[in-house]
Amino acid sequence: MPKTDNAIELTGYLRQDFSVCLGCKICASVCSVNDISGNANPQDMLQRIFLGREISAGEPLVRSCTGCYRCTGACPWEIRIPDVVRALRHELKIESPFEKAFKGSVALFGRVYEPYVLMKAVPFLLKGGYIQHMGRWMEYMGFHLPHKVKRT
Amino acid sequence: MEYGYYPGCSLTGSAHKLDKGIKQIFARAGHSVKEIPDWNCCGAFEYGDRNELLNFSKKNLEKARGHFHEIVAPCPACYKNLKEADEAYEFGVIHPLDIFDESFFAWMKQGRDLKGQVFTPYYGCILLRPRETALRNKNIMEDTIARFGGEVAGEAAKDRCCGGNQIFIDKSVTEKLSGIILEKSRGTLVVFCPLCHMALKTFSGERKVIYFTDLLLHIMGDKSVL
Repeated sequence: MPKTDNAIELTGYLRQDFSVCLGCKICASVCSVNDISGNANPQDMLQRIFLGREISAGEPLVRSCTGCYRCTGACPWEIRIPDVVRALRHELKIESPFEKAFKGSVALFGRVYEPYVLMKAVPFLLKGGYIQHMGRWMEYMGFHLPHKVKRT
Repeated sequence: MEYGYYPGCSLTGSAHKLDKGIKQIFARAGHSVKEIPDWNCCGAFEYGDRNELLNFSKKNLEKARGHFHEIVAPCPACYKNLKEADEAYEFGVIHPLDIFDESFFAWMKQGRDLKGQVFTPYYGCILLRPRETALRNKNIMEDTIARFGGEVAGEAAKDRCCGGNQIFIDKSVTEKLSGIILEKSRGTLVVFCPLCHMALKTFSGERKVIYFTDLLLHIMGDKSVL
């Protein structure tokens, strides 16, 4: 079974739900990813999913979708394309170190405990050039203890 | 009125200013907010399995059952997830922006006006889309700014994406998308979402980025945020 089929299952959609797509590409015309790369075409992605073809992890939409739902807002059928992309990312096992740390914190504390997430993501933050922003982020800093351990 | 309060992870951490602002404003309006006992993370945008994501919020609703009918969730991601998880419409899941109506302004004591100052209200994505979970009043921030004499700018920026969701994945995406918003807006950026606040603040240079709650407190005469 192609990974796209597994991804559809995760969204709660059925493959035939995408058959209503009219091919108008209004989703592509408003897609935030196209403000960066110009190569995102959600309509084409939906069509390929409908046809049972694979989607690659390197595609701009899969890599950079911000989950803004501009496509959903514009779509005549209000298809929730960001939910589909998120499911594809899950299925393709695309996860940044920060996302891993986020999920680790939720599994451990039941909540996102920011000091834990920051600690876990330190190598990524150092390598990714985030330290230069710390001055501007001082207002977000504060210390509190985690809620509970191993709650979920 | 007593509301169930779902602060979510951000408001108990990096968005502590928003949490404080909400509590102050609600208290002055005569409303009390009481945290849902033992709440857990709503999952934000991080889970690709829709059932897994909704189960986080279903657990929270379970914990609210018997205690509250109306739940206030200020963080847009938490608000959307909770509202979607309430499939039977058992609760009223409310965003604070939908509470700031005429009756709210009727009691609100004005200490300052906003004359001569320019603001861009920025809603971001999740407060306006998808339609099922969007705010009732999609102009509340500009209405408020105009009501107190401020100049509203940046209509073209209000519903664009700041790329906040990508800030800890690929920050070049956030930098470009936030840059477009900064370019299409003027004056102080007024936001509600903790993630939008962080994304815009990171790349805003000299421009001010403030929470809407801080603007309300400023109008009420509290410590100036401008």
